[in-house]
Amino acid sequence: MSEDTSTQATVDTVASDPPPGQAPELEQQETTALQWIAERGIFLFTALLIVIAAIFVDGFASLVNITDVFNRAAPIGIVAAGMTFVVISANYLDLSVVAQVATSAVVLIAVNNSAGLVPAIGVAIAIAIVYGLVNGVAVGVFKANAVIVTLATTFIGIGILRWQSGGSIYFAGEDSLIRAFGTAKLGPFPLSMIVFVGVSLALSYVLTRTTFGFVIKAFGSNPEATRLAGINTAWVVIGAFMLSALGAMIGGFVLAAFSQTAVSSMSGGYDFEALAAIVIGGTSVFGGKGSVLRTLLGVIFVSVLSNIMVLSGLGFGVQQMAIGALIVAAVSLDALARKAATS
Amino acid sequence: MTQGPSDADDPAPTAPILEAHNLHKHFGGAVAVDDVSLEVRPGEVHAVVGENGAGKSTFMRMLAGILVPNEGDVVMDGTRLEPGSPQEAIDAGISLVHQELSLIPEMTVAENIVLGAMPTRGGFIRRRALKATAQAALDEIGVGVDLDEPVSRLSVALRQFVEIARAVAREPRVLILDEPTATLTPAETDYLLDMLQRLADRGLAILYISHRIPEIFTICDTVSVLRDGELVGTVGIDDTSPTDIVDMMVGRELKQELQADHESNPQGVVLRARDVRAPGVNGIDLDVRAGEIVGIGGLVGAGRTEFVRAMLGADPRNAGTVQLTVDGETRLINSYGQAVAAGVGYVPEERRADGLALTMTVRDNIALPNRKALSSPLGVLKRGQIVTYAKDLADDVGLRPPRIELEAGAYSGGNQQKIVVAKWLGRAPALFVLDEPTRGVDVGAKAEIHRLVRSLAEQGTAVLVISSDLPELLELSDTIHVVRDGQIVGTLPRDVADESSVMALASGGTSMIGV
Repeated sequence: MSEDTSTQATVDTVASDPPPGQAPELEQQETTALQWIAERGIFLFTALLIVIAAIFVDGFASLVNITDVFNRAAPIGIVAAGMTFVVISANYLDLSVVAQVATSAVVLIAVNNSAGLVPAIGVAIAIAIVYGLVNGVAVGVFKANAVIVTLATTFIGIGILRWQSGGSIYFAGEDSLIRAFGTAKLGPFPLSMIVFVGVSLALSYVLTRTTFGFVIKAFGSNPEATRLAGINTAWVVIGAFMLSALGAMIGGFVLAAFSQTAVSSMSGGYDFEALAAIVIGGTSVFGGKGSVLRTLLGVIFVSVLSNIMVLSGLGFGVQQMAIGALIVAAVSLDALARKAATS
Repeated sequence: MTQGPSDADDPAPTAPILEAHNLHKHFGGAVAVDDVSLEVRPGEVHAVVGENGAGKSTFMRMLAGILVPNEGDVVMDGTRLEPGSPQEAIDAGISLVHQELSLIPEMTVAENIVLGAMPTRGGFIRRRALKATAQAALDEIGVGVDLDEPVSRLSVALRQFVEIARAVAREPRVLILDEPTATLTPAETDYLLDMLQRLADRGLAILYISHRIPEIFTICDTVSVLRDGELVGTVGIDDTSPTDIVDMMVGRELKQELQADHESNPQGVVLRARDVRAPGVNGIDLDVRAGEIVGIGGLVGAGRTEFVRAMLGADPRNAGTVQLTVDGETRLINSYGQAVAAGVGYVPEERRADGLALTMTVRDNIALPNRKALSSPLGVLKRGQIVTYAKDLADDVGLRPPRIELEAGAYSGGNQQKIVVAKWLGRAPALFVLDEPTRGVDVGAKAEIHRLVRSLAEQGTAVLVISSDLPELLELSDTIHVVRDGQIVGTLPRDVADESSVMALASGGTSMIGV
C-alpha cells in the first residue's frame, strides 16, 4: 500500500480490521491479562528466554550453539508441525508418530542401502499414506477415539518394525546422500534446520491460507456445524492425520540423516515432546484454535530452555521436570482463558 | 389457563425478601448490566423482560452467585450475600432454574433432582431418602414421572419440569426461572404457569425471565424491563399493557415490521419429498415451490426436526425419495452433501451446538459454507474477498455491531442466529430450511429475520420453516403442514390457518401432559 495520508498512522492497523466508525455500539473488547498471556505469551516468553540466555548463560549466544539447537530440534519440530493439524482438529494428538518416525528413518536407511534413495523415499511415502489413512479412517469415519486409535497403531507399527528389522541398527552408507545431508550446510545453516523452518512455513501456509486448513479449524471448533455447512468431515479428519504422517515421515528422514543410523527405538517420547511444543506454543487442546507458527515457537522455546539447562549443567531429569511443569501451565492457561472468554 | 383477576390482590406490603442494590457487571469493555436495582417480595411473581443481550441472564446469574458483580450487592433477608458464591445463595434460599438444561442424561430422574444435595450417611448414598426427597419435590410441583427413568428418555418438557423439581427440592424461598417455556408447547406452557402460580400462592418469590409477553400478563404481578443492561422501569402489571412493555423493551417502533405481509407468488416445485421415513418419521410427503414459504407446525417431539433432517440427509433416512429441482435440473438427494451442493441452506434447531463454530470469527463462520467460491481452484483462500463477502452479508442480516473479526461466541442469541442465516444467504440457496429460526431471539432480531425470510421468498427462494412459535408460523407461512406422530395430519392454507386450528391438529384434541 502506498498511501501517504496520516489516516493510516496507527501502528497496529491491520487490513482485516473493520474501518473506524463502523461499530459505535460495542467498545473495543478488553482482554484480561490471563487471556493476553494465553494468546500472545509464547512470543514474549520466547523472546525473554533468548535475551536472558544471551546475557547470563555462557556459550549460548554463539552461532555454533544456536545452529546446534536448531539442528537438534529439527526432527521433533517437523513432527510437531504436522501433528498441530491433529490437535487443531480437536483430536488431541497423534501418538503413532513414535512408530512413524522410527519406521521412516529405518526405511530410509535400510532401503537406501539396498535399493537406492528414490525407492527408499517411495516406500516411506507409501507407509506414511497408510498411517494417515488408518488413523484418519478409524477416527474420522468410525468416530473412534484418536488417543486410543493412535496408541494402537503405535503398537502395530513398532511391532512390525521390530519384527521386520529384528531390532538391528542400520548405518547410513559411508558415501550415501543421507550422510551428506546430515552434515550439509547452506552458508552457516545446517540443511536440517532449513528443512525444519521450510516445512513449518509450508504447513503454516496450508493451515492459514487454504480451504483445507480453514475447514480443519472449523471442524476443531464445532464438528457438527462444520458437517451441516455441507463439508465431508471424514475427509477433514483423514487430511489432518495425513499431514501428521507427512510431518512424521520428514521428521524421520531428518532424524536418520542427523544420527546417520536408524533403529526401531530411536523415536521414543516423540509423541509427548511434540505435544509439549504444540501446547506450549499456545495451540488449544480443545481444538479450533492455534497455528503452526506457534508450534515452531513452542519448539524453539523448549529447545532453548533445554539448551540453557545443559549449558548450566542441569541434568536431563530436571529438563523433563521443567517441560512437564510448562505443559501443565500452558494447558491450564488455555482452559482459564477459555473460561474467562465465556463467563 | 383461567387465572381470574379475582385473587389478584396487590402484592402485600411485606418486606422484600431479595434485593439487588445497584448491580453492575462488565465483561472486558462491554457493559452487560449497569446499575440495576430490584426487589422481590414473598408470593410475588416478578417478570424480568428485555431483548437478548439486554442483560437479563447476567443479572440473574449475579443474583444466584454464579457471577461476581463489579459493583453492587445482593441482599437476602437484609443480609448481604458473599458475591460469587453459588453455595451461599442456595443456602440462603435462592434457586436458579437454568436456561440451558443442565440435567445429566444418563442419571435417573430421582438422582438428577437431588444432585448436589445427595442424602448420604458415612459417604454412602441413602437410596430411600434420595427417592423420598425427589418424590416430595415432584409432588410439590404436581408432576408425575417415574423416579427411576433415565432423564435421556424423557421429553423436553418433562426434563424442564425435572429441572424445576430440582430447584424446588432445595426448599428455596426465591425461585429464578430463565426462559423456562422456550422449548415448551402452549399446553405445556399453561401447565408450567399454573404450577408457578401455585408455588407463588404458597409464599415463594419468583423471578421470571421470558420473551413471551402473554405469559407475563398471565402470572406476573410486577414487570421489570431491561434494555442494554439498564433498568428501563419496574411497573405493576395492572398499570401497563403488552404494547407498553414491547415499547419499553425495544425503545423503538417495530409494529410495522411485525405486521408486514409479503406477496406470495409460488412458481415451480423446488423440493419434492415422497414417503420419507426415519426413526420418529412415518412417511411424509412434501412439496415446496419457488417463492413459497411452507410452515411445519406441531408439538415438540412430533417428528418435525427428525423429518427435515432425514429429508436433507443430515441424519440417516430409512426410506423415501427426495428431489430438488433447480434451474430446470432435477437432482436426487441422498446425502446431506448432495443437498448442500444442489442448493439447500439449512439453519438447524440448535444454533450453538450445530450452527456456529463459536471460537471462530464471524467472518470465518459466514465464509465456511461458501469457501469454494472464495478460493482459487487449488484451494488457496482469497482473503480480501472473504472479508468483503462476510462484511456485506453481516450488513444484509443486520448484525449489530457488524464486527466480523469478533468471535461468533461473543454475540448474543439473536445476533448469532443472524450469523447462521448469513452463512447461507451468500450461497443464494434455492431451498432455505429454517428450524426454529427465532427461538430465544429478541423481538428486534426476530423481526429482522422474518423480514429476511420474506424477502428471500419474494426473490423466488423456496422456504421451509419449522416453528413452535404459532404466531410466527401463522405470520410467515403460505401453507402450514401440521405434523403429529411423524406424519402430516393436516394442511392449512394461509387464509384458513389460525392458532386454534393448528393446535387442534397438532395436539389431536388430547392434552399433552398426562399427570
